[in-house]
Amino acid sequence: MQIYLPIAEMPVNVLVIFGMGMTVGFLSGMFGVGGGFLMTPLLIFLGIPPAVAVGTQSTQVVASSVTGAIAHSKRGSIDFKMGGITLAGGIAGSVSGIFIFRLLVKIGQIDLAISVIYVVFLTIIGALMMAESVRAMLAARAGQSVAIGKTAHHSWIHGLPLRMRFHRSRLYISVIPPIAIGFFVGMLSAIMGVGGGFIMIPGMIYLLRMPTSVVIGTSLFQIVFVTALTGVMHSVENQTVDAVLGFILVVGGVIGAQYGVRAASRLRGEHLRALLAALVLLMGLRLGWALITPPADLYSIVDVAPHS
Amino acid sequence: MTKRALIAVLLTLAGLAFGGPARADQLVTDLSEHKIAIKSNFTGTQILLFGAIEANGPDERALNRDIVVVISGPARAVTVRRKARVGGIWINHDSVTFPKVPGYYAVASTRPLEVTAGIDVLQREQIGIDNVNLGVPVAQGMDGSEEILSPDDEKDFLKALIRNKRRDKLFINDPGGVVFLGQTLFRVTVDIPANVPVGLYTATVFLLRDGQVVDAIASPLYIDKSGLERFLYRFAHGDALLYGLLAVLGSAAAGWLASAVLRER
Repeated sequence: MQIYLPIAEMPVNVLVIFGMGMTVGFLSGMFGVGGGFLMTPLLIFLGIPPAVAVGTQSTQVVASSVTGAIAHSKRGSIDFKMGGITLAGGIAGSVSGIFIFRLLVKIGQIDLAISVIYVVFLTIIGALMMAESVRAMLAARAGQSVAIGKTAHHSWIHGLPLRMRFHRSRLYISVIPPIAIGFFVGMLSAIMGVGGGFIMIPGMIYLLRMPTSVVIGTSLFQIVFVTALTGVMHSVENQTVDAVLGFILVVGGVIGAQYGVRAASRLRGEHLRALLAALVLLMGLRLGWALITPPADLYSIVDVAPHS
Repeated sequence: MTKRALIAVLLTLAGLAFGGPARADQLVTDLSEHKIAIKSNFTGTQILLFGAIEANGPDERALNRDIVVVISGPARAVTVRRKARVGGIWINHDSVTFPKVPGYYAVASTRPLEVTAGIDVLQREQIGIDNVNLGVPVAQGMDGSEEILSPDDEKDFLKALIRNKRRDKLFINDPGGVVFLGQTLFRVTVDIPANVPVGLYTATVFLLRDGQVVDAIASPLYIDKSGLERFLYRFAHGDALLYGLLAVLGSAAAGWLASAVLRER
């Protein structure tokens, strides 16, 4: 069943897109990840122009992060003050990310930039996840549980000025690191079409030393607003948000996430995490391979002015 | 149409066909459609062009007569980029921009173009993609500064442009695609792919005799998105801010709905 996408200007198979939305939704429900870092490369493999994939993907991340953020706000596991501070950085990052995106489109390097950034992040994250899940599997076999250690010593982070008290996180730290993390994640969000939880969560745990109980909720809270802004800006600046594509992805994602959440409570986490890690690594390698092998045609064409 | 008007039209047509004493052969052509609508189920289409040659005088023979059909889409600037290996990875390097490239260009003929007419005629009438004036190309280096390329290099870019457009099925060459049904009637079907750009197209039919253009008829063909596709495209480009806000709010609503459903379980 083919459907013509009005912005991407190409026909796609509805069932394939829907299936992808469901699969990524399932994984995001199971692991609590946004899934943007999986969906954008998948869309590009399918032949969707990278700019449209990134722009549209940001709307899908809005949907999945709203669901997650509501659940966490009910549990009271959001540090709104910290979320607000990182959001301030995120807004600035997203605006500059859109600017960089535009510049890359203009000089014809956007496809390369998206590929390179994905290769770097997918391989690093895939490798880290793989190591972590293997460690967890080994620990489970040995009959112990691993916890993320919260080291007592103070890092240089705590020596910075402009300190502020965050009651919910039980922290008294400078606002500079949260703003910087928010900025970086906002920029990635605009260029990669992701929420950026995979950067935000380790950043909050290891750099800011926030309690793990509030990290996911706070990160989701920030992602909702940053990706919403990113989606609007991609619409305004690049006209690359395809509503039809986004709709199919969101519907598939929402349904998939329901099953993912339920499956997560039944299945062994470490094994599935290892599987996800393998998938992420594979995609990183696939994208990287395309960068280093000689292309079939050295030349490519692009319309200068978008059609009116 | 009233009967009287119909008779008037028929008389005029008859006059055109048989009136002038020493007039050469004339074309009568039409397209199966003058408007192609791109709807949500659009996966490409075919267009049928048919026509007849109205011969004047009994001594006019069908020998050495050729029909060439050219369908050309709206022209716009196209940049051709060449990749080069930098630090182990392949990146876009030099580029050449051609200012006036038809978004779609199909040529079909009764015989291959080379044997149909001389290069001077083909160039004058811009028949065949090699003979279309694409404007003065501008070459740029990777840093965006203007470059001067050797003619050989420039030719490589031009060849790459045509090759890429052919691969996308947007440049079509169909020698032998025009089929005669008997002495005077002819027809040709031309593929319109799914990725076709929207806009005003021109379908031109040339009648050649002994390598010279005897008659030509151009008719318009309009390709546009329609229905929801058209609405969304117009909305996204015309009122981008509202479109973006609605897209994001719609997604947020879907996320909220999902959490409401989740809670009921």
